[in-house]
Amino acid sequence: MDGVLWYVLTGTRGGENRVRIIKALEERPRNANKLAEALDLDYTTVRHHLDVLCDNDVLRKQGGDYGAIYLPTDRARQHWDTVEQIMEKVE
Amino acid sequence: MSLWLQVIWVAAALNIVLLLGLSYVWGRNYTRFRSKHTLGLAAFGVVLLAENATALYLFYFNPDLSAWIAAQAPIAHRAIGALRLLELVAIGFLAWITWD
Repeated sequence: MDGVLWYVLTGTRGGENRVRIIKALEERPRNANKLAEALDLDYTTVRHHLDVLCDNDVLRKQGGDYGAIYLPTDRARQHWDTVEQIMEKVE
Repeated sequence: MSLWLQVIWVAAALNIVLLLGLSYVWGRNYTRFRSKHTLGLAAFGVVLLAENATALYLFYFNPDLSAWIAAQAPIAHRAIGALRLLELVAIGFLAWITWD
């Protein structure tokens, strides 16, 4: 899991925005729309990053289709020190 | 120049373009995250970029060496070119997942 986190968050073009997304969801789980607003990102960009993070078992979806909220998985929480280590670098 | 050599030439040039993009993404992430992980990726990109640029120069642009290799060891020239194509496939996959 540590390797996945390093790769998905720091090895790819969209890594920095993914870190911001995880940080926001850790503070308060929310849906894609609210997340796009809070981070001032394009809705489709946010959806793409959420899909990648769900695929890699960093985030999970809760609730219905459109209003579904996203939150960190248990697996990500077990490796939260790594997430924090990465998050420290992003304001 | 034979068609095969042109294909190899284009593969080396494409490798360089892809590696420039990858090194840019990884280098930018390194300046952001300052982690060992991103430093490794950035260093890998830059070294492989240097390798491809050197190969392109030695095999195609250096007049003496490229003519000598093509004349003296055409089979080796083709074989090394095939390796370059495989490298393009590998770097292509890496670019595909990194551009995400």
